[in-house]
Amino acid sequence: MEQRKGWLSQLFFKKEATNILYVPALILFAVFTFYPLIYGLKISFTNWNGYSQNYGYVGFLNYIELFKDKYFLNAIKNTLIFGFGCTIFQQIIGLAVAITLDHKFFGRNFSRIVIYLPVLVSPVIMGIIYYLFLHYNYGALNDIVVLLGYERIAWLSKENWALIAIVIVNTLQFCGISMIIYLAGLQNIPDMYYEAAKIDGATDFQAFKYITIPFLYPAVITSVTINLIGGLKLFDVIKVLTNGGPGYSTNSISTLIDITYFNAQNAGYASSMGVFLFAMILIVTITLHKVLKKGEVEV
Amino acid sequence: MKKSLLLVLVALIAVLMTASCSSSGEKKIEFMTGTGVDTPLFALYETLAKEFEAKNKNVKIELIPSSTNHEGEVKTRLASGDAPDIWMTHGWSKGRYAEYLVDLSKEKWAKDLQNGLKPVMLGKNGELYAFPIDLDIAGIIYSQTALDAAGVSIDSINTWDDFIAACEKLKAAGKTPLAVAGKDRWPTGLFIDWIAPGVMITQNSKEADLMSGKFPVAEWKQTLDVVAKFRDKGIMNKDYSSATNNDIAMGLAKGDVGFTMCMNFVAMQAFELKPDAKIGYMQVPVMSANDKPYYVIGEKNALGIWKDSKSLKEAKAFISFLAQKDNLTKLATSVGSPAGLSTVNVDLKQLTASFERSTKFAGQPYFDRVFMPNGAWDAIVATTEGVVLKQMSIDEAVAKMKSEYEKLYNQQK
Repeated sequence: MEQRKGWLSQLFFKKEATNILYVPALILFAVFTFYPLIYGLKISFTNWNGYSQNYGYVGFLNYIELFKDKYFLNAIKNTLIFGFGCTIFQQIIGLAVAITLDHKFFGRNFSRIVIYLPVLVSPVIMGIIYYLFLHYNYGALNDIVVLLGYERIAWLSKENWALIAIVIVNTLQFCGISMIIYLAGLQNIPDMYYEAAKIDGATDFQAFKYITIPFLYPAVITSVTINLIGGLKLFDVIKVLTNGGPGYSTNSISTLIDITYFNAQNAGYASSMGVFLFAMILIVTITLHKVLKKGEVEV
Repeated sequence: MKKSLLLVLVALIAVLMTASCSSSGEKKIEFMTGTGVDTPLFALYETLAKEFEAKNKNVKIELIPSSTNHEGEVKTRLASGDAPDIWMTHGWSKGRYAEYLVDLSKEKWAKDLQNGLKPVMLGKNGELYAFPIDLDIAGIIYSQTALDAAGVSIDSINTWDDFIAACEKLKAAGKTPLAVAGKDRWPTGLFIDWIAPGVMITQNSKEADLMSGKFPVAEWKQTLDVVAKFRDKGIMNKDYSSATNNDIAMGLAKGDVGFTMCMNFVAMQAFELKPDAKIGYMQVPVMSANDKPYYVIGEKNALGIWKDSKSLKEAKAFISFLAQKDNLTKLATSVGSPAGLSTVNVDLKQLTASFERSTKFAGQPYFDRVFMPNGAWDAIVATTEGVVLKQMSIDEAVAKMKSEYEKLYNQQK
């Protein structure tokens, strides 16, 4: 017992001192997140080419240029399509699957695993699988098209098709996350509410509307927030599936930053895009979170 | 408790001291190879590095294989002020990396630099910033199988009009006349590297203007007009936007694709898929019958040494080791290109006839590397693909290119 009076015992056995245990996490956050953020902000006011030791300050020029750049404006549009498009489809599919798999039937656990499995796969691999599926000459989809007597279609060469393909691939990969969140939410709803509703003569739809949805609201907020942030930051799938093409038409802000920073050697300008993306995700997420919170009801 | 803690600390210090002692006499060379871990070139680097280490016991060579973004990785290392000791300069030893590299012109092997590389690699005062493993001689890659099916002969193609006529024959024969890897993006920029010398150098002599910050608007428009003709005649691959170089190589190997404008590694990829494929590379056409076709020549696999390297002496020794005749022969053979030094002859196998043909024509350097300011490449790619996809008019593309050129030129001054 005497030994516990040393500094080591103070550190590990005194209740208040345990706070020190999150210092390593704070240091990692500061070094790998906070410092790059501040440094990126600084770089966004320069004309740095991304590798030279010299650069000059250009004030707000990069930020002014952002709103004159048609590629960037298009990337904002695409980012919002990916963010909201993927989120909406992931909620619909995730919820539908969760409700189906909440019922007991043979193979339920296997089905849950199959739907969740793509979440564990790298988006790059997922992108490659679908790239090969949609490939003009060797893709399975075009083989079917040819079998049906039509000419091959360059699915990823048309802007709209390419955008849809990206949304579908990302949705199919990550709807498992929504499913898990909604399943957890559904399993927390006490059966007594459904039994009471049944006694009162409520239909299945009414039970869904007045019991399931209100009880699932916290799960909706969590799922929407996670999926929205993921969709707004979308990078890997776009890179592998379309590489931002045709031309620049399917770039998200993230992929455009990559091109601008490394290919166009315009790191200052790319950093201003990064700062814009950070602010956009922050504003969109907080606003949506507040809107969803307003709709939350006490049950 | 205190005793055990003290013991742990003493043990830790002892381990660290042992580690530092064992590495104190060792010189490490970090080598960013710019080539994938699965390539014959990387395997050869591994073998040669081991041989060098065996002869130089105090040297340890760390080979870093390339990801898909070698250029980005090099730039990141330069930005951090922690460049590798040796890196592959991917065509930019003079134009982009000169200020970071050691001048190797006094090395023994430097006097044997291939003549074709002298205009593209030597600085104003004869500085040489990289050791060239090979010489990049490129033209228009063709599939003889596809050309035979359409009754096209490469000897009859001297102007772009001839080329388009040949493409139309290929189209009529059910082949893809001209395939470009639009998904990879950068191959689209090669349209400019291939066409522009014929417009701006051999025909209109705009070198002085380009080097003095005057953007040749009319000539750039003329260059993009040729690209627009490819588009409007419907001779380009339908999957342009989603095609990769692997797809093009596959098309060439199968004889489905007539032509592509790219470096010869695409032909080498096709040979891997089908070793007996009939593939070669031909001269680049010009604008008028009065002009002469040419080949595009440049630096390819070249290795530069960081000027602030702590293992400068050892890195130079390693490069000299690679430059030895036997080693360079193996290296150049592995990439299927003529060696960068004139002392070495390489068996180019399936591409021998094409190489011999190329010696009868003049060579032009990669246009962007010599005549465009550093950083202009992405604008070249973006504006050219804008024209191919009709996302930009030719006038818009020229205006955008002009503004990028002037901005970058002024930054570079």
